[in-house]
Amino acid sequence: MLQVMRNAGLIVACLVATSMADEESPGYWAFERPTRPTPPQRAALRQAARVRNPIDQFVFHRLEAAGLASAPEAERGMLARRAYFDLLGLPPTPEQVDAFVADTSPRAWQELIDRLLDSKHYGERWGRHWLDVARYADSGGYETDIYYRNAWRYRDYVVKSFNDNMPYDQFVQEQIAGDEIWPDNLDLDPRRVYAVTDEKRKHLQARIATGLFTLGPRVHESGLDAKRLAYETLTDWVDTAASAFLGVTLGCARCHAHKFDPFTQEDYFAMQAIFASAREVEIPLWTSMEEADWRQSYPKVVAVQEARQAYQLFVGSPAGQKDTPGVAQRKQELLGAIGQAVLALPQRAAGQYAVDYVGLMHIPTATVLTREHPELIRPIHVLERGELAKPLVRAEPALPVSLAEATGTSPKLKVPFGGRRQFALWLTRADHPLTARVFVNRVWQWHFGRGIVATPNDFGNMGQPPTHPELLDWLASEFVEDGWNVKNLHRRIMNSAVYRQSSRFAEEVHLKMDPQNELLWRMDRRRLEAEALWDAVHFTAGTLNLAMGGRPVVPPLAADEIASLREKWHWVVSQDPAQHHRRGIYILVRRNFKFPMFEVFDTPVTSVSCPTRDVTTVAPQALWGLNNQSVFDQAVQLAARVVKEAGTETPAQIDRIWKVALGRGPTSEELAAARDLVERLSDKEATALPEFPEALRSLPPARAHALAKLCLAVFNLSEFAFVD
Amino acid sequence: MPGMQLRREFLRQGGLGFGALALSDLLAAETKAAAAENPLAPRAPHQPGTSKSIIFLFMQGGPSQLETFDPKPVMTRFDGQLLPESLRDFDLAQINTADAKILAPQFSFDQYGQSGQEISSIFPHLAEHADKLAIIRSLHHELFIHGSAMIMTHSGTRLLGHPSIGSWVVYGLGCESDDLPAYIAMTDGIFRNGASMYSSGFLPAVYQGTDMRIEGAPIQNLQRQATISAREQRLILDRINTWNREHLRSRPGDSRLDARIANYELAFRMQGAAPELIDLSRETKRTRDLYGIEAGPADRFGKMCLMARRMVERGVRYIQLICGGWDAHGDCKGNHQAQGAKVDRPIAGLLADLKQRGLLESTQVVWVGEFGRTPIRQGSNGRDHHPYGFSAWMAGGGIVGGKTIGATDDFGFSAVEDKVHVNDLHATMLGLMGLDHERLTYLFEGRERRLTDVGGQNNLAARLVRA
Repeated sequence: MLQVMRNAGLIVACLVATSMADEESPGYWAFERPTRPTPPQRAALRQAARVRNPIDQFVFHRLEAAGLASAPEAERGMLARRAYFDLLGLPPTPEQVDAFVADTSPRAWQELIDRLLDSKHYGERWGRHWLDVARYADSGGYETDIYYRNAWRYRDYVVKSFNDNMPYDQFVQEQIAGDEIWPDNLDLDPRRVYAVTDEKRKHLQARIATGLFTLGPRVHESGLDAKRLAYETLTDWVDTAASAFLGVTLGCARCHAHKFDPFTQEDYFAMQAIFASAREVEIPLWTSMEEADWRQSYPKVVAVQEARQAYQLFVGSPAGQKDTPGVAQRKQELLGAIGQAVLALPQRAAGQYAVDYVGLMHIPTATVLTREHPELIRPIHVLERGELAKPLVRAEPALPVSLAEATGTSPKLKVPFGGRRQFALWLTRADHPLTARVFVNRVWQWHFGRGIVATPNDFGNMGQPPTHPELLDWLASEFVEDGWNVKNLHRRIMNSAVYRQSSRFAEEVHLKMDPQNELLWRMDRRRLEAEALWDAVHFTAGTLNLAMGGRPVVPPLAADEIASLREKWHWVVSQDPAQHHRRGIYILVRRNFKFPMFEVFDTPVTSVSCPTRDVTTVAPQALWGLNNQSVFDQAVQLAARVVKEAGTETPAQIDRIWKVALGRGPTSEELAAARDLVERLSDKEATALPEFPEALRSLPPARAHALAKLCLAVFNLSEFAFVD
Repeated sequence: MPGMQLRREFLRQGGLGFGALALSDLLAAETKAAAAENPLAPRAPHQPGTSKSIIFLFMQGGPSQLETFDPKPVMTRFDGQLLPESLRDFDLAQINTADAKILAPQFSFDQYGQSGQEISSIFPHLAEHADKLAIIRSLHHELFIHGSAMIMTHSGTRLLGHPSIGSWVVYGLGCESDDLPAYIAMTDGIFRNGASMYSSGFLPAVYQGTDMRIEGAPIQNLQRQATISAREQRLILDRINTWNREHLRSRPGDSRLDARIANYELAFRMQGAAPELIDLSRETKRTRDLYGIEAGPADRFGKMCLMARRMVERGVRYIQLICGGWDAHGDCKGNHQAQGAKVDRPIAGLLADLKQRGLLESTQVVWVGEFGRTPIRQGSNGRDHHPYGFSAWMAGGGIVGGKTIGATDDFGFSAVEDKVHVNDLHATMLGLMGLDHERLTYLFEGRERRLTDVGGQNNLAARLVRA
């Protein structure tokens, strides 16, 4: 970090590091394969007794060299809360906290981590992290913000992949080239038998993974220039792939040779050429139809589709001329055929409760990559300054030359097809200099709030140098040797003493020498991300619907929240109220209209890959906490919950509120202050609200109101929104 | 973390290339870093500027240059005729240029003021301020679709995800108001393109514009729950703050926790300040009349313009007002007559009111659409989108008015003289604020990004402030 460093020694060290990187160029560290470093001698460390695994040896070694000590271990209750939020994005229940605090076994912590990694909610938490990198959204943005009806299948694929502990190399391969590496994945071929083997199902998952490329920002407007659209789509694909997997921002190389990295314009357009032989396609999903027992209605649905296609093909052919009587008649016939086919649809498909017309028309599909027709593959040219109108020379599919050389590979790739496959397999070679480093760095960042490289999408010269280069390489080497095992990577990190440090620690000398905590002398306190805060409010209130997967859900908005949206139909509230309290990851992500609470709490811009979320502190967050309807509703629900669980006595209620919301009981001062607040908020005139749940009605209305308002106050505590 | 990135950005902007970092520079760096602690703290510009705030009047849909500020009397002779061969090689949104016929300008122009600025008859009130205006007739870019063109006009690029100019301005200069946002956007209809019209893009979200409504609750979540009285809210808030301060006490060295407490107080003040801001009942009848409030079609935009003046008075840095409805694909004449009636008195009133209160000198007013309209007709009497040469004007903020910049060709097709790209307009607006568009940068995706990308060379700022 090029921070303001008051300590001259650190500045000098940093200057040396920077200039060394320059001198070594082009043998820039990130583009050379890592060698597995040996952890610093444990015995030589002053804090040797605290070392739990080699991560600590690396970190303590640097800390001690700077004359700093690390923070003591966090209290057990805090550790439990940290682990739950970190791995599941959900708070622990008071009982879960108590169980961990009471478990004195030396394996208690490891067992807790194992348990959390086995939870299916782990995939939701860590899948959401990856979706930031994948610039995930359910619509295309720009003026029309067209809805992507299948984006959620990619989201569910990501969640499932994390839950299944899919090896990361496979995760990369599937997203880039699932269709090319596992070609036997065609889900539905009406001319063949409808048998779907397990292997085929797996291959189909790999194909859905390529949906990554189909959910980027896209212009859909009149007057489109097809060539430009294709160029901008390819730009999105290449920039996303480079940022997400290579951890290198290639966007600049579009216009000029990358000033500080060994990437040339030729490299950039060669990457575009790799992807130019792919196109987006919607494939029908027999497996999904089978799940919904579509067997019976399927042929009739296909008949409708075919009739519609026949009509579209017919009207699509001659442009701009007036219909002759013959043409007009044929049109009528074709329209009539559609009508007939629609009428033949069953009113209700077997096993489906009231399938509506639209539902029948839409065969379940996934939007994925496929091979372009060979004769339609656009030639890619190196463009002067990246301008479409200024082609220079033809670009052929190739790996970035300098990186290919670093792995002893020829940069040339197959044409016209197979390039993506080769690219994916090259990326996931054990000796690739970037792939593993980039991913372990991301995981480190999501655990600690900052990566070892603080710019996870830019391992190039413009990014930040690693604070702990040997640790990064050690983690990357372990990760690859361990079969790219992601859950084990979590275990390695969380079982370190570094991870278990307290965040409530600071001495003058630390703050002075390393104000940004780059040396990891304590754990950094972290504010809950938008989704985690949403989940925590509902979980605490006892209303969170933990159902998994499926189409995006759309919670209702207050009038002032939806006022700025032009196309009100872009926010069609889910009919089933149970969907309104789903986890944040499942809420509709529109590029043009973020869920307002998420907007205020820094969910990422979805136009490009987001490596690190902002964490801002702004007044609208406070307004949300104090005044938003959904927060107030949840405060009422929480009040009802504690009445149910703790009875009608105020002190017991307060105790319960603290435990479910903060994971600890109130101090005696807090208890007294909370009682006083309840007292002063008890308005004798108050009457019960119609929306008060039954349990809350067992209190006098004045108390019920006051208790709900106390719950509202607790939702606004820093302690609620931050994890120590 | 953004705090750190910001800190670094301010360092870079201070011209402290890292290699050049000497111990003696550290003090200066400290000051900048302190600003990074509070990203909205007011900051000095790169050099002294002539204006402190901007009112951006965005005419959404694309007003025609030929019916507003770019008279082409010669075209009347060619009405209904085919476009000259030489002008047919253009991409347009909906018209095929091969059989395109010219549509004569639909309104007469007169000369106004001592400067003799030519303004069309749809702006009779604005015309009285001709000597305050610097009219740009050679504005251009290359995007003829609303969505991309609006992104261009607001963020200087065709692509989604870049900060709007208001966010750049606040990033550069911070916020002067204690109880209002620094960047406010209002529309008389609905934001097309969603939040990209006031988005902070890749800049931290603190620089996002706040969309404010002119009736009801002006800002999201501003109104207390019906069952919580003002007294009760104060009780609750005091309790929250006390507990949060206790929480902070046992967690030293975390400025976010301080900032959070401060923000709860700011939120509380905003609950009072924002409704007061949009409450026009205290304004005199004379003032309200000046803006055309309650005068038929001018009412809505009149209210917005008056609110804009009140925002300037209260230290709001960047105010975006959007007037929709200029997309005259059919009946260009009827459309522009009606649109003129919506904005003419409000804008004239705004200029007069700012002037009489001594605010015009430090407030830039900019009038522009996302593009102009074709000299050729669409249907029988409409015009299509046209980005190759269109008009805008600027006033106030140190600008010496009565100027005309640039020109289009005889048919109003292309900017040909003293061409001003949208990047140039942005560079000019920043320049008047004392911000150097080449130094106002932010590192994103490995590159120092600027509002003006690689453009902005034709920065008019120096010319505009000279007599």
